[in-house]
Amino acid sequence: MTRKSDISTPEGYFENLQERLSAIPRQQEVSKPAATIRRFTPYLAYAASLLILLSVGTFVLRKTTVAPEVQQVQEDPYWDYYAYLSGALDPDGYFEYTEIEDLSDEDIINYLLASNLSLEQLAMSYEEGF
Amino acid sequence: MTENEKVFNQIVRDYSERLWWHVRRFVNSHEDADDLLQEIFLKVWTALPSFRGEAQLFTWVWRIATNETLNHLRKEKVRAALKFSSVDAEMERRIQADPYFKGTEAERELAKAVLKLPEKQRQVFIMRWWDDLSYEEMSAITGTSVGSLKASYHIAQEKIRSLVSQQVF
Repeated sequence: MTRKSDISTPEGYFENLQERLSAIPRQQEVSKPAATIRRFTPYLAYAASLLILLSVGTFVLRKTTVAPEVQQVQEDPYWDYYAYLSGALDPDGYFEYTEIEDLSDEDIINYLLASNLSLEQLAMSYEEGF
Repeated sequence: MTENEKVFNQIVRDYSERLWWHVRRFVNSHEDADDLLQEIFLKVWTALPSFRGEAQLFTWVWRIATNETLNHLRKEKVRAALKFSSVDAEMERRIQADPYFKGTEAERELAKAVLKLPEKQRQVFIMRWWDDLSYEEMSAITGTSVGSLKASYHIAQEKIRSLVSQQVF
């Protein structure tokens, strides 16, 4: 059995491959401005994280701050707090759930792949309920 | 042309074809091998300024290629698991439907049997059987002792013998 005769390649493939690979330094030279942007990427990421944190914080504070008249009712020992929540926060009497409809399975898979977690780590996270 | 470009072009001339065969045996797809080799050489080019000559150029390039290939396979495994499918089944399908496969049925069986080996044994088997690397070269690339590599190769051969119906060695 000859060891490499079982697989073929398109005609002239290796000559073409060498040409394409040799072009990598020139291609990288052209895309150098992108490297400058990459240098600032971590700072931009920090700024974006801070902005998100502030927005989420403000949103949570607004949602959880109770109006004085509601607070007065809540202090009533007979007030069923949970009944209040389900009745007052949602006109249909149910809690509201927000779904992120724009997030596809492929987006989630790509995110998990980019996280570089191993299959074992992912399984462990799943078992822990994350 | 800079000194780094000259070295890079030399690497391309000397190793691109051998590395393509190496990667091709792992991924079992012409297109994936092509894409992966581009990524490997991009990594080689990016890392070239940090190459200090402590290892041989050959060893250094092969180490990058092997690591990139194994990382690619691990990601494929995770991707398949997240879609509730099996990467091994996908690899078998690739071998079965490969338009570039020109070998005998025994060779096809051998390729499929290699899929069933654990990662380390598969790596050793591909490097020895198809890439024709010496144990010393494999040792420098993988950082594993020659004795351990010989043992892994022997076990891999035995497993493959038990998996294929015809005599392949």
